[in-house]
Amino acid sequence: MDVFFYIAAVVAIISTVMAISGRNAIHSLLFLILSLLAISVVFYLLNAPFIAALEVIIYAGAIMVLFIFVTMMLNIGIERETEKKWLRPRMWIVPSILAAILLLDLILAVKNIRPVSNGEEPILPKQVGISLFSTYLLGVEIAAILLMAGVIGAYHLGSQKKKVKHRFLEIK
Amino acid sequence: MTEKDFICLTPFLIIAIAPVVIMIVISVLRNYKVVYGFSVLSLLAALGSIFFIFPSVPHTIEPLFIIDAYSLFFLGIIIFSALLVTFLSYDYIKQLTGVREEYYIILFTSTLGAALLAVANHFILFFLGIETLSISLYILIAFQRSKSNSIEAGIKYLILASVSSAFLLFGMALIYASFGTMQFGAILEALASHDQLSPLVIAGFGMMMVGIGFKLALVPFHMWTPDVYQGAPAPVSAFVATVSKGAVMAVLIRFFFILSGFNNHYVFVIISAIAILSMFVGNILAIRQKNIKRLLGYSSIANMGYLIIILLTGSNKGIQASIFYLISYFITTIGAFGVITLLSTSENEAEKLEDFKGLFWKRPWIAIVFTLSLLSLAGIPVTAGFIAKFYVILEGMKAGLMLLIFSMIINSVIGLYYYLRIITTLFSSSSETNLPELSLFGNITLAAVAISILMLGVYPGWLIDVIVRFVSL
Repeated sequence: MDVFFYIAAVVAIISTVMAISGRNAIHSLLFLILSLLAISVVFYLLNAPFIAALEVIIYAGAIMVLFIFVTMMLNIGIERETEKKWLRPRMWIVPSILAAILLLDLILAVKNIRPVSNGEEPILPKQVGISLFSTYLLGVEIAAILLMAGVIGAYHLGSQKKKVKHRFLEIK
Repeated sequence: MTEKDFICLTPFLIIAIAPVVIMIVISVLRNYKVVYGFSVLSLLAALGSIFFIFPSVPHTIEPLFIIDAYSLFFLGIIIFSALLVTFLSYDYIKQLTGVREEYYIILFTSTLGAALLAVANHFILFFLGIETLSISLYILIAFQRSKSNSIEAGIKYLILASVSSAFLLFGMALIYASFGTMQFGAILEALASHDQLSPLVIAGFGMMMVGIGFKLALVPFHMWTPDVYQGAPAPVSAFVATVSKGAVMAVLIRFFFILSGFNNHYVFVIISAIAILSMFVGNILAIRQKNIKRLLGYSSIANMGYLIIILLTGSNKGIQASIFYLISYFITTIGAFGVITLLSTSENEAEKLEDFKGLFWKRPWIAIVFTLSLLSLAGIPVTAGFIAKFYVILEGMKAGLMLLIFSMIINSVIGLYYYLRIITTLFSSSSETNLPELSLFGNITLAAVAISILMLGVYPGWLIDVIVRFVSL
């Protein structure tokens, strides 16, 4: 049933457009999460449940939550007003409606159809794990080096200069 | 993994283990000289191990790696250039305030990324290599984070390189969606079995070309080059100009020749257009440039334009010419950036034309090396650059690429103008500036560069013999 795919795809497109055109960072991030969730529904409908789960766990879960934390922490001084501004209905009503549509889409899809099967079995985590740690083992190790470079870089570029003041001289 | 796999991976293992060791050493003892010495030794060991594994090639490690004489040659060039950059970095990095040892860790990871590109036989390794290289380069470019120039360059490179990586990845995905394989050889088979290419595949190759064009700074994807060259520390600019471009070139040549891209009419037209545009845009923008680092950036755009002519020759001779050209271009560029590095202090980067005024009367030795490098870039006889250009023109003529060769010759003339302008500045009357003391490592590097430029210019036969004997695809 293509209609489920089209609903999820339209939600993804709308929310991505809203994410890049929004002026408020938190607002954009909410839409971005929604866009990622919609894409994971598309993956599910394409008979790829594992990648759909990864999309939710890694992108919508870990990375976006981190984003939101950082953005909220940067506004720490003026938290009261900004928080009120963020919580106005204008801000969350559109994402909520879109999310509700997506949820409905997913529930109906799960109830009504088996995911499209083009003669291929869905790929399961076990197979992915086996191929990552046998055929593509070297690739995984290179990815580890890549991450190491990233971590060291983040440490170097983000590290603060130490204050040389004595602690008694610091004004509380 | 068999024993032979491990033997063939020795250079990579050395380059991959070295940064981890440095990291552990730093956590115990932060000593610049120890870290530096270890880095140089590891690079030397990696370079030596290439000769050691030479008898066991060609060898493929399914499905990602292909280690043959061609890739070992590129590997050698890449590691050797990284070694020269390390030599140049000693004083430049030493005088920085704050932590400095991380520089060598990142230098190793970026070298590893570049080295992996030389042996890539699969889109996954291609992409991992490019990403390892790019992520390390963001950090190296923005390494002096107290300077706003550096940060600007780093962020520019970060954003543009991420977009280009996205293009590359999307292109790969489209090709994978059509053919169901990401291995270069298997893609060739899939291509051969289709007589009509689907729009998806064409779009895929086009998007990959965008990603590669960005990394090589070919017109119209060249906008980042001058800013990044100017903002990055001088040795890092040398690294970006040589190692990163050479590695991408290695994988491009392999991919292009395996797929015989030169047989396709459209590809032929597109590559020709990119080559001609790169030559003209690079050279014309360089003419009025007063900042030497930016000027070298533009000159590197033009040089990559000359080099991709080789892709269209479609012969093993062309590949050999490209390797010779890359070697000469690497040595020359490292020489030019080396001079800038040695004349720079932590406060003042020697990058403006005035900084070089009358250099010959104060530091004759450095001025001579700089002159040699510039003459070699311009392609004047007795230097390596002349033989390299001659070789490319010869192979181009044989393949009948008249239009490309003519624009290359016209551009060499344009290029001569701005190289000679710098040289006249070097010999003009002296101005009052105090120059930093010269270091031992810097002198050794410059001496090596000067000797190689002259040696390859006067007696290139031995290198050409070696290349012709071993390298083919």
